[in-house]
Amino acid sequence: MSPDVIGANLVVSLKSFYREKSAVFFMIAFPIILILVFGTIFMNQDDVSFELHVQDLDQTTSSAQLVKTLELDGRFKIAQVDPAIDATRYAKDKQVNLVLVIPTGYQRALVQRLGLVGGVPSAAFRNSNASVAVTYIYDASSSSVSQKMQILQSALGAVNQGMSGEPPFIRSAETSILAKKFRFIEFFVPGIIAMSVMTSSLSGAVNMNAELRQKGVIRKLSTTPITHSDWVLSNILYQVILAVMSATAILLVSYAVFNVSLRIDAWLPAFIVLEVFAFAGIGMILTRVAKEAESAMAGANAIMYPMMFLSGSFFPLEMMPGFLQKIARILPLYYGNEGLRAAMVFADNMTALRCSAIIGVFAAVVFVVGIMTTKWEEGK
Amino acid sequence: MTNDTAPAIDVAHLTKRYDDVLAVDDISFTVRMGELFAFVGPNGAGKTTTVEIIDTIRRPTSGTVRLLGMDVTKRKHDILPRIGVLPQGFTSFDRITVAETIQYYSRLFSRRNTDVQGLIRLVNLEDKSEEQFQNLSGGLKQRLGIAVALVNDPEVVFLDEPTTGLDPRARREVWEVLLGLKKKGKTVFITTHYMEEAELLADTVAIIAKGRIIAMGSPEEIIQANAKYLVLTLKCADETALEIVRTMGFEPVQDDHRNITVNVAHSSDVRKILNALTDAEASFLTLDVRNPSLEAVFLELTRRSVTGQPS
Repeated sequence: MSPDVIGANLVVSLKSFYREKSAVFFMIAFPIILILVFGTIFMNQDDVSFELHVQDLDQTTSSAQLVKTLELDGRFKIAQVDPAIDATRYAKDKQVNLVLVIPTGYQRALVQRLGLVGGVPSAAFRNSNASVAVTYIYDASSSSVSQKMQILQSALGAVNQGMSGEPPFIRSAETSILAKKFRFIEFFVPGIIAMSVMTSSLSGAVNMNAELRQKGVIRKLSTTPITHSDWVLSNILYQVILAVMSATAILLVSYAVFNVSLRIDAWLPAFIVLEVFAFAGIGMILTRVAKEAESAMAGANAIMYPMMFLSGSFFPLEMMPGFLQKIARILPLYYGNEGLRAAMVFADNMTALRCSAIIGVFAAVVFVVGIMTTKWEEGK
Repeated sequence: MTNDTAPAIDVAHLTKRYDDVLAVDDISFTVRMGELFAFVGPNGAGKTTTVEIIDTIRRPTSGTVRLLGMDVTKRKHDILPRIGVLPQGFTSFDRITVAETIQYYSRLFSRRNTDVQGLIRLVNLEDKSEEQFQNLSGGLKQRLGIAVALVNDPEVVFLDEPTTGLDPRARREVWEVLLGLKKKGKTVFITTHYMEEAELLADTVAIIAKGRIIAMGSPEEIIQANAKYLVLTLKCADETALEIVRTMGFEPVQDDHRNITVNVAHSSDVRKILNALTDAEASFLTLDVRNPSLEAVFLELTRRSVTGQPS
């Protein structure tokens, strides 16, 4: 193994990189754009409020009080719907995913339930069977409507509880396992770092093995003293350098724009190195299977893009159906995401160690297979 | 010429097979130290496969190849620092400049004192020194490839079709470079399909067709051994000479400029023709008698090879 040869390859690789503007963009600017976009979208996730369209058919002080109660809950912005129009038609025409209809007779039923006489509740006149049914007109195809309905149901449940006059039987208290409250952006950044290392290493390995071979560069290199090991090692180092640059840019932007709070320690470079070996190994195997550079790159894309979305890089695994969660747990990027989150967000060294061990074993296997299956000499 | 030193290249019963295709079929030859050896043949004859086996890019199916006394399949690591290779269709990293490319390859050979500018001057790329590889024309890329093949001051230089794609002037410049290498005592092995190039440059020529060597020797030896005729060329003012030669039983060929070319078996036939023309007072402007060119011999030999006739 020759340091001079490895150094020469690194210089050529880095010069080729920064002289190709599209490579610089995809390597550094693309993950930053993702951070800025997703960070902005989910910046106020904890404070999000939904628009709720309400049609008050009763038009009484009691029904108006109910609407006010929902508004004061803080989770709804109320939009009034004209009682004279058809609410279902309104929802279709205005593309509204939920309309709450308060029926005529709301106040009458409320008076009966509370036994109000002259505005004063009286047990003698209370009718505990008096009730009113509000109607939800909703768009089942909307992804946010079920969450809205749950929140609305919870708010109406609180109204029912309040009307009972009795204190609740089960109360709840919250205790966070985390020392501080984390935001979505802090969940997102480690996933973007892991994803960025994957895309760079996998496509870099395809370029190294397939494109340069197809062009004939490898043929010329094989007539020089550079060995296959020198070539592979210098390209691994190059990918590690790119990954560190990308991670640094992502973290700097995240700190500057969103003031993220993440722990940076030895786990970050460790996971970067492990992922580079893992995905470079996959890339080498790919180029053995798909000999043409174009088909090898298509194969790389077919691996990268599903893995990005299935591994929890962009959103929590819990949001996915059970069978997809099982699939995610066999993907190497999942352990990259989980390991980096454990280290950077939760300060959970045991989980980081477990994830690094899994990626490490995977990387060792695919990398050795990749080395053994890629050829330095032309056809035997 | 006798030479007591070991050959630079010694190929014995070399065969290369790709599945059903026999690319190189049991060929043997040696290349002396310091000579310029040309491997000529049509496309697909096996030239590139042969040279890539010798310069360690490929492995043979059978046979032995010794380069500078070392088996190419076993001593590759010792051989590479002593040879330079211009592969066919040389290519390099697109965004690296001419000077950087030469520096890069010299570092691969762990050479810190390579005269980069000297090599750039040698191949006349001074005004392209800072140009990226992807912006060079095919001919300039080829010249850069020649410079790269020389970064380690090799003892043996392999150039696979070094002048393909070059304009006539650039081709001549490359010829001068190759002759200069030979003068420095380097062994030069080229493949080419330009017969003129082989005839002009090579000490020894091997003609290969369909994977087999069909002739080998100096250009003069090959011509003498395979072309048992002379070529008589007459530049005439009219058709008279053409008719006279035709009536004598020869088969003259006339070009658009009224030059008559006729192949004759003996020099005595030349005298007969000249006497006949003199007797008929037929005029001609110039007369030329020479051995056939290597290209003519090559065409005849490869024709025989294709049709299965004996050489």
